[in-house]
Formats: sequence, C-alpha cells, structure tokens
Amino acid sequence: MMLRRRFLCTHTSNFSINQKPAPRQWPIKQVTKSNFSDSLHELDNKISDSDFVAVSLQTTGSYSSAWHRLLPFDTAETAYLKAKYAAERFQMLQFAVCPFSVRASNKLVAYPFNFHLFPRDEHKIGMPCYSFSCQPSYLTSMAREDFDFNVCIYDGISYLSRAQELAAKGQIGNPVSSGYVAQSPSSRSVADNVFVERIKSRVGHWISACKHSDTRTNDVLVNSLRKLILGGEDYGSRPSLNIDVCSERQVQLVFEMVKSEYENVVPLIIPAKGGGTQAVRVVLTSSKEDRHLLEKELQNMEEEQSKHVRGFREVIDLISSSQKPVIAHKSLNDFTFIHSKFLAPLPPTIDEFRSSLHSAFPNILDVNHLMKEVGPLNKYTNLPGAISYLKRNFFAPIEIEIPQKASMEESKNHGHNVVRISELFAKLCFILKMAPETEPHNRDGSSMLKRCSNVFNLGSNGFQDSNEGDDISVWTHNPTKTSINNLVFVWGFRSGTSARRLKNLLLKSHEMMSEDDVFDVRLVDKNCAVVVFWKTRLSEWFLTAIGSGDGGLRELATEGLMAAGYEAYKRVCKSEILGADLADSLAEFDRGVSETHTEESAEVYWNNELMINLDDL
Amino acid sequence: MKKHWMVRALSKTLTLIPIPFHSSRGTFSSVSSSFALKNVTRSNFELSLADLRRHVRDSDFVSIDLEMTGVTSAPWRESFEFDRFDVRYLKVKDSAEKFAVVQFGVCPFRWDSTKQSFIAHPHNFYIFPRQEVGGDDPSYEFLCQTASIDFLAKYQFDFNLCVKEGISYLSRALEDEARLHLHSAHEDELSESPSTTKEIKEVPLVRMADILFVERMRNKISEWHDDLLQIRNGRSSRIPEDSNDSMNQFQTIFFRMRPAIKLNGFTSRQLRLIKSVIQKSFKDLAYIRVNGTSCFQQFIVYTNSRKDLELLMKEVKGDLCKEAEIKIEAAIGFRHVIDLLSSEKKLIVGHNCFLDIAHVCRKFVGPLPSNLEEYATLVQKNFPYIIDTKILLNANNVLQLKMKKSSTSLSKAFAILCPHIASGVSSSGLANSSSVAVEVQVDDMRSSNWNSGAKHEAGYDAFMTGCIFAQACNHLDIDFSSHSILMEEEKLQKYINLLYLSWSSGDIVNIKTGRTTTESSAFNIFKIQKAKIVFPNIAIVWGFPSKLKAREIKESLCKVFGLTSVTSIYHLDKTAVFVQFSKSELVSDFLELKSRLEKKNDAISVFHPLSELLEGGNTRAATYEVYKEICGSPISKILFADQAEAGGINLNTTLFESKRRNARHCILLRLVLAYCKSILKGRRNQPLEPSSLSVLRCWEYFQDNVKKYKTSFMR
Repeated sequence: MMLRRRFLCTHTSNFSINQKPAPRQWPIKQVTKSNFSDSLHELDNKISDSDFVAVSLQTTGSYSSAWHRLLPFDTAETAYLKAKYAAERFQMLQFAVCPFSVRASNKLVAYPFNFHLFPRDEHKIGMPCYSFSCQPSYLTSMAREDFDFNVCIYDGISYLSRAQELAAKGQIGNPVSSGYVAQSPSSRSVADNVFVERIKSRVGHWISACKHSDTRTNDVLVNSLRKLILGGEDYGSRPSLNIDVCSERQVQLVFEMVKSEYENVVPLIIPAKGGGTQAVRVVLTSSKEDRHLLEKELQNMEEEQSKHVRGFREVIDLISSSQKPVIAHKSLNDFTFIHSKFLAPLPPTIDEFRSSLHSAFPNILDVNHLMKEVGPLNKYTNLPGAISYLKRNFFAPIEIEIPQKASMEESKNHGHNVVRISELFAKLCFILKMAPETEPHNRDGSSMLKRCSNVFNLGSNGFQDSNEGDDISVWTHNPTKTSINNLVFVWGFRSGTSARRLKNLLLKSHEMMSEDDVFDVRLVDKNCAVVVFWKTRLSEWFLTAIGSGDGGLRELATEGLMAAGYEAYKRVCKSEILGADLADSLAEFDRGVSETHTEESAEVYWNNELMINLDDL
Repeated sequence: MKKHWMVRALSKTLTLIPIPFHSSRGTFSSVSSSFALKNVTRSNFELSLADLRRHVRDSDFVSIDLEMTGVTSAPWRESFEFDRFDVRYLKVKDSAEKFAVVQFGVCPFRWDSTKQSFIAHPHNFYIFPRQEVGGDDPSYEFLCQTASIDFLAKYQFDFNLCVKEGISYLSRALEDEARLHLHSAHEDELSESPSTTKEIKEVPLVRMADILFVERMRNKISEWHDDLLQIRNGRSSRIPEDSNDSMNQFQTIFFRMRPAIKLNGFTSRQLRLIKSVIQKSFKDLAYIRVNGTSCFQQFIVYTNSRKDLELLMKEVKGDLCKEAEIKIEAAIGFRHVIDLLSSEKKLIVGHNCFLDIAHVCRKFVGPLPSNLEEYATLVQKNFPYIIDTKILLNANNVLQLKMKKSSTSLSKAFAILCPHIASGVSSSGLANSSSVAVEVQVDDMRSSNWNSGAKHEAGYDAFMTGCIFAQACNHLDIDFSSHSILMEEEKLQKYINLLYLSWSSGDIVNIKTGRTTTESSAFNIFKIQKAKIVFPNIAIVWGFPSKLKAREIKESLCKVFGLTSVTSIYHLDKTAVFVQFSKSELVSDFLELKSRLEKKNDAISVFHPLSELLEGGNTRAATYEVYKEICGSPISKILFADQAEAGGINLNTTLFESKRRNARHCILLRLVLAYCKSILKGRRNQPLEPSSLSVLRCWEYFQDNVKKYKTSFMR
C-alpha cells in the first residue's frame, strides 16, 4: 500500500516536471467580421512596410486516413494529389498573416494578424462552399487551445475565390455600369437600326417628359400616374427608365445609342438571375456635373459591393499584389488550400498548379526546405521541433519585437504559429548567413533564398508513427536513392502482420529473394506494405512471378497476397475518392486496369527518381 | 436627398425600439416557469444517465429529436418528386453517413394519474464524435453543410460546448471491432511469449557511447541483482542509495509483489539497449512496459523462476487487456442512452423522424444496409415501436380537423395543438378538458407551465414533439389512466411504425414490414395530385449545354419521338434532367439513337433534332437505374454532371458516352453545313470540293439522308 502510494507520488511529480512551461504569448491581432475593414487597412500598410509575409492556416483536417498523409515514397505528383484531395475536402477556420522584417542586430519586427474565417453564404448564391469535412481530432485539439468556435462561426469572415467572384457577378443582381466594354462600332443590320430608332425615340420622349414635369406641380398622384405611363421609376433621386433587351447585342446597341445621343443619360446593366442581362436601365442626370457625380457614386458602390463579395480574399489579394516573398511552413498543404479557396479550383496536375500559383504568388519560401540546409534531412517537420533543434545546435539569437497590442484577452489569442514561422525564418537566415533585409531587393537570382523559393516541401512525415520502434534498425543510415519502379505494393496478408514477419515470409518464398539485402519491406498501414527492391528489374520479375504463381510465391498468392506496381498507386491517388484503406483501393484499381486497358500518356514531368529517406522510416 | 434618408432612418429606429421592449415583457410574464432544460455534457453525463434510466423505465413514451451538422451533401441529393422509394432511402443513408449529430434531445413522458398530468423530463445532450479508442478511423470524419451550421448559429447553438464538452460515443459495430482487435492482439502476444520468441532482436552497438552505456547498465543491473539475492539469502545489504543522478533513474519498488526497478528518464534508444541487455544477460529478470496515465512506464522485474516469469507476463498482459476493456467500456458514452431506449422497448415518438432514426442506427448501431428492406429489419430489431407525429397529424381526420388544415411543421403543430403550453400562460384556472396538462421536471424544479421557447434546440424540440403526441392521443380519446400500455392502444395501431420517407411526396415506409406506400390523397388536402410517375419510362440526361432549358429539351425530343412521347421534364439541377417518356421502349429508343448518332462520328448529326441536346459532346444519358447507382455513390459533387463523371459508373449498355469531337470533325461539319445551305437555297451547282476521302464519304452519307433531315432543318 505504501509502495503504491509512493508510486503515485513520484508519478505526479514526474508529470509536473515534464509539463512544458506556459508558451510565450505574443500579442496577435484577432480579426473577425466586426473589425475586418479597419484591420485590412492596417494590414495593407504593414505589408508594404515589411520585407516578408509569413502565413499559416488552421484547417478542420488534413487527411482522412493514415495513408493519405505524405509518405516518404510519394512523388511530387502523388504528394500534390494528396494535398489537393485534402484542400478540396477540408475548410480553414483561421488564417494568420504576419508581415515582418528582419533588421540588423537580429531583430525581428513582426505584425501578426489572425483572421477567423467561416465560409458563410453571405449572398445566398451557394458559395463559397456547400459543405466541408471536419476531423474530430483536429477540432478537439483546437478546442484544447481554447479556440472559440462560436466566434468563428458567428463572426467569421466569409470570402469568394477569384473564380467564384466571376461566376457570382451575374447572380448577385445589382446594377452594373462597368460591365459594358466599348466595342468598335460594328455594322448594323436593318433590324438593329429599327431597334435603335425605337429605343432612341422612347428615351427621347421620356427625357422630355421628365424635363417637362419639372415645371409642373409636384402632385403626387400626377407624378405616379406619369411614372406608370412612362414606365420609369426613380433611381435614387434621379428618374430612370428600364429598357427590356433580348440579347447582348441589343445591350451593346442601347449603350452605343445612349452614349452618342444623350449626354446626360447614364446606362446601367440589370443582370438576370443566373447570368446574362435582363434589362438596361437608363438614368437621367440634370447636368454634366451631375452625371459625373452619378458615375462616381456608381463606381464607389460597385467597389464597395465587390469588396463585400471578396471578403477575406482582399487579404490574399493584398499579399499577392505586394509581390513580397511569402514564408510558409508546410507550403504544399497551405498553398493547395489557398489556391482552392481563394483563387480557383485546383488543376489536375502539379505543373498546372505551379504555374497557376506562380502567377499569384511568384515568391514562396518554405522554412521546411530551408531547414534542410542546416539540419538532417526531413527530421524536423513540425515547428516546435524545428525551433528547438535550432536552439540546441546553433547560436542564433533573435529578438522578436511586436509593436502592436493584442486586441482580445490572452486566452483568445490565437495564431502563434505564424510568429514561430517568422522566428524560424529569421534564425535560419542568421545561421545560413543570409542577410534577409537586403534579399527582397536583390534580384540577381544567385542567392540562397532565390534558390529555395518555390520549392515545395516534399519532406516526409515518416511512415506510420513508429513508437514501436523495434524494426527501424534495418533502415537507418541508408539514405539510398531508388527509382519508384523498384517499389511494389503488397496486400492481402493478415491484418496486423509486422514488416519483419512479412519480410521473412518473402525471404522464404523464392530463391531470387532469399538474400537479406535484396529487398526491404515497410508497412504503409495495417493492411498494406511496400517492398523496395534494391536491384533493378527485380520488381517486374516479382510482379509477374506472383501473378503466375512462381515457386514459393504461389503459396503466398493462394493465401491471398496481392501485389501492384507504383503505377497502380499513382492511379489510386488520382481517383476521386482515395478510400480509407489503401489495400482496398489498390485492389479496386488493379481489377479496373485488367478489365479495361487505359491509354494514358506517360507522365513527362516526373523524373522517376525519388528520395527515400531511410533515416526517418 | 439627405433629409429623405434621415427620416427613413429615424422611422426605422422608431419602429425598432418597441420590439425588444415587447419581447422582454413577454418573457417576464412567464419568467417564473422558465428554467433551462437539462443540458447534459461530458461532465454531468454519468449522473444524468442514472436519472434518465429511472425516468425512461417509468415513462409511457419517450420523444426524441436530433440536430445535425447538415442534411444533404449536394444540392441534387435533396428530395425530388422523381425519387423512387429505394432512391429516397439511398439519399437518407448518404445523409446519415456523412453528417454528424451534435445535439440529441430525449424527453421521457410519464402519466401521473393523481395529478391528471404528464410529467416530462426534457434532456438536451451535446454529443460530438470524438474518437476515444482505436487508431485513426476515417468513419469519425464528418461533413458540415455550411447552410446548416449557419442555421444552428442563428438559433444560438453553442459550438464550443459541443466540441469541448460533447459526449462521445461508440457504435455497437465499432465496439465489437475494437474488442475483436483487442483479443486478437492479446492472443498474438501470448503466442509470442518470451519463451517461444526465436530471436532476440539485437540493437547493433555502433556508437562508442552505446557500448559504454550498455556496459554501465549491465554492471548496475547485476549489482542490483546481486544485492537482491544477498537479501534473499539473509545477508545484510549495502545501502545503494548513493544519491547521484543515475540512481534516481533506478528506483527500486515492488511490481506485483516482486522486486523491481522503475526506469525513469531514459531515452527510447537507451531503453531499447537496456531491454537487450536484460534479455541477453539476465535470465531471471524481465523487461516490462506498462501503460501509465500519460505515457508508458518501463520496469525491470525480478522473477524467481521461469514459471514465475511466465506468470508475470501473463499478469501484465491480462492487466493491459483489462485496461483496454475499461477504455472501450468508457468510450460507449452516449450510446448508453440509445441502448436504454432500445432495451426498454419504449414507444419512441419523433416528428418526421425517418432521418433521425437513420442517424441513430448509423451512429449507434452500425453501418446502414444497402437497401430499405434490410434497413427496416434493422430498425425493427432495435426500436420495435416508433410513432411519427407528422404521420399522425396528416393521416387522422379528427386531428386534421383540429389542425385546421394548417402546416404540420413542428412549431406550428405545437402552437395549434398545445396553445396552453406554447403560450406559456398557466391554464390551471380554466380546466380545459380537451388539453392535456404537461408538467416539466428538471432536477428538483417543477413547473406546470414551462416553456423555454428555445426552438431548434434538440431537447426542446423533443419536448414539443412529446406534447403534440400527448395532445393527439387525447383527441383520439385515448385514456392515459387505464393501465394498458400505450403502444398496444388500438387507436394507434394504424400509425405505429409508419415513417415518412419523404413528407412532400407522401411516401411512407412501414418499418415493421418494410413495405412502402404512398399516402392516399384523401388525407392529403395540401398536396396536388400529380401525374403518376413510371420509373421505367424515365431517362436521365446530363452534361448538355447549360443554356438548354427543359422546354427546349422537350421540344427537340418530341421532334424525334412524336408530340406525345415526352410526358414531363424535371430539372435535378442546372446540369441534369429527368425525362419521362410515355412508354418505356422510348427510353431505350432514345439511348440507342443517341449512341448511334455519336458513334457515327458523322457531321450529319448536326441536322438532327437531337443535335442541340448533344452539342458539346459531353451529353450523357442513362436509365433510371443508373441514377440510383449514382445516388448510392459515396462521392458528393455539387453538380450532378460532375458527380456522374466522378463516380466512374461502369459504362454498360444502359449508358452511352459520346466522344469529344475533334478538330477534323468540326471542319467537316462546317463544310457540310455550307453545302446544305446551298442546296436549300436552290443553288445546287455551287462548287463543293471534297478535299479528302472522309469528306466525300460524309457527303455521300448526307446525300442519302438529305430528304430525311430536310424537314427538320427547314424549321
């Protein structure tokens, strides 16, 4: 009994020692719908004053199943497809932006902002998103950090992507003046001339009636009767008239006619629901000055309107137009999200994605990639790990100065990662002896930062979290490059079989595989494993051998062991639903391939060389 | 102008002011009787469950209501007129599979004959699909429909409480799986007990530090080991407590009545080295890892003999197993409430509750079967008595009269049938014989005119549903005081276990028999009798040019198949339509013609009346069965055309795919079109030079068919 109590005591004391000291609290400006427009203005100034912009986002999930994570054997292509899959499903709830500069004497001056987002359908047009997925574990860990979901959902800022804004223009249904682009006067048909003459005389009658009425009494009844007859109504304080049109051609004709015939009349397009033009509204102004006034008003209104429609995307547009280098931590993940939510739907290939993203963000730097310059490859993929690694191994004193005050109470102070990214970047610059304050102006392309920019980090997360750790030894200190052609996926073994046992099974199966150093086996998840052959051509042999039931492999095959090459894996990654279980998906696709021969073109952009970092497995 | 606006604004504020004043007064009058209903979260779940068990056992019926994170995963998954029973089920199944339940209202009602009143206990459970056992199971991931989340927010739903304090749950299927997994893992370990393991995994000693560490450990452990033996042999021991650092890492304790060392503060690599040292050099010591409260704890334990060692291993594993069992038990969470309702076989009352029941089955029982009949069996097995108040109100003449033909939405029905409760004004003074008294009890508070008014809160909605049911029973002259059981009441038999598959179409499923019927129109005064839908006559068409409207599609089809061939056209969304033909043969005729036109790859199709529909080359068509298949797909794209494309449905004979026209094809089209124009204008002799063989062939084909298509082209 005594012993037991002691046991408990030591345990609790141990626990308190192990507990980390409370994390530093930086004042981060929290932005919701209510203070968005003020903050936007402020952010604009800070971005133009700073050298870099760090971004970091908090999403509702990132992978649905263990194998959906980035795995060491993923190529750039499959990595992109996985990131795309996640970005299309999940939603971001927080977007932290931190304009910062690194001044001499290692001083980091940062202005962190944390925006709370919610994809509310503000304009009742079914945008920005119909639904989104959530991973409970992500929400729970956010809750642990005291994230306020109510603030986010009640007051989060909505947005539309660039593509959505274009699509929405017609649907929102406000009169537009700038929608009309003057075209060179084209030849008119007879019908066109008849139409123009008819409209001209109608507008002429209406104008004279309006002018005439100014001198008459302001009798309400008379006025309303006249309106009824003329078909006009007031636009603000000015009289206006709606002209029905049947085609875009007629819209053009009305605009041309009005511009040439009536100086003080302003034409507007009334968009139809679901695109197109419903009518043209002409508004009568009293003078040239009044016309300018109206035009200005309209312009402001449109500006205001589109600002409202863009919502949070204003921030993205600000960062994009500033052309400042954007610093991110998992850049592939973050920028697939950014592209899909704020720019346009994600393209099917990584090359298209790269070029599309490049037009909006020409200069992206991934701190994870910079980390490779100083540390063991891919070792520290999470932020705190990376920072503490630098602390242990390098002397890089960085002083962080945040000249602003937090806008909310401490517990609601979120978005620290963006400051950590800035800090990590500053430290890395210090260690790598880069002078970040001069970098942005240095355009000669030879610098380290230039070299590292726009390289998406494909660093591995490691295979399954191996707290078991027993079967690591085989793979340590063996960072061998191998072609994806040497990889074979196997499944159909008993769920939960260890990699070692699987390897033993295969070792015994055939004399071609009887040597220990010919191949290695790693588990992808509990039902699927990947076999790496260290000799070329062996994988092809293996696939045909297991298909034809050669030697001892026959026994394995009859027990249900199946195998497929990397091509099948690629195809699974390309599919609409990745599937929870890789083995199932592979089996599905394997069957599909044998049934219908697909004439897919060879991928040209992948060089077939990938790094398998064995240190990390 | 400014003035005008000012006045506007002022009048607005003037009208605005009295409203909050009014409403505050409104709540004041009933403040004495409005306490919060019972909100249950993680912190008070255990206690509340014990109370609830009692209340449910004593109750006459239990009403339920659910709040979800969404209803449809895509616009085209909403309920359509053209949905068959099986398709409706697939849509509901999709919804129950994808969305999460965030609030669960349970309200037991008990008739108190001394008070001549029902006693209701409204409970509002916050639940959240937090995963407590097992690895990353993708089935916990859930979808949120933006509009539904916004709707919940409008009614002040507390998302923080839900995520942070929501009660988690484990379905029966997942529980079984977890137990199975646990036992198989347990057996595996037993079969691999230390005596039978073939090789001891060697950690290669490559680093100097490792070698030194291993040596030091070997010495330390053998020192400890020898001391132990000396004590055993009755000799005095040295006091090993030289208080240096390494000694703190070596803490001597008793582990299961055996002397042991508790290993503190070693890295995982060091622990691995220690393990290998023990296995190699000490036959009577065992290296053991157990689950601590927050992390693993390692021990080196001394055992007397080999037998003792095996015993110890067994004990440790048994412990691990038990621990895991307890964890699974604890993870069941909210399912205890469902198990309670199921095992007590109480009458479950819901309002338009087909989707609710589907959620209950999916979340707490297991995966939903693929067809409606099997699903009905599953429901029947778990909940033998369900009554839907919406069915009751619509199907019974007496109640319809009471409802005054008003809408049967929950809040409307509540306001009309239970005005004495809805208004919150005590009716105790005027003993109205026709209204049933409901007393609400929450913990120690009781009230006979309780009304929290928190609409769209699951607990309150369940309460309203129960009140409607009690009142409806009263109108049907059901005597609560007689000691018969409510669900055996004859007057209710007609309605028990009937659920609306879709309320708007009046499709009803009988859970007991699995049979489906459509509500007879006699009861359906609100619904206009529509033309009968014959599913084999329906083709589904998608991917056509977006500018085409239903009318134009109908016209072009009628040109080919005759004026009366198309009965109706119905838009699923802007990318897809249902076409109902007058005869089922027309469906196959249409599909065949379409594929023929496309396969020919000939320019002639441009003059065909269907060309308008097929323009762009992405138009697909299929039978109704393919639509069902698409509805069963787990994918949910926003537009139906994308969905059908993404689903990768096998393109069998029912589905014809058109190929994209290539550039050559377009040129051909233009050439032939020009030629055709020249013919129609009577200028037959204008030169047309067939520049290639294919054009020539095309031209010949055109010549053959020109008469046939002339008429349609002229139009």
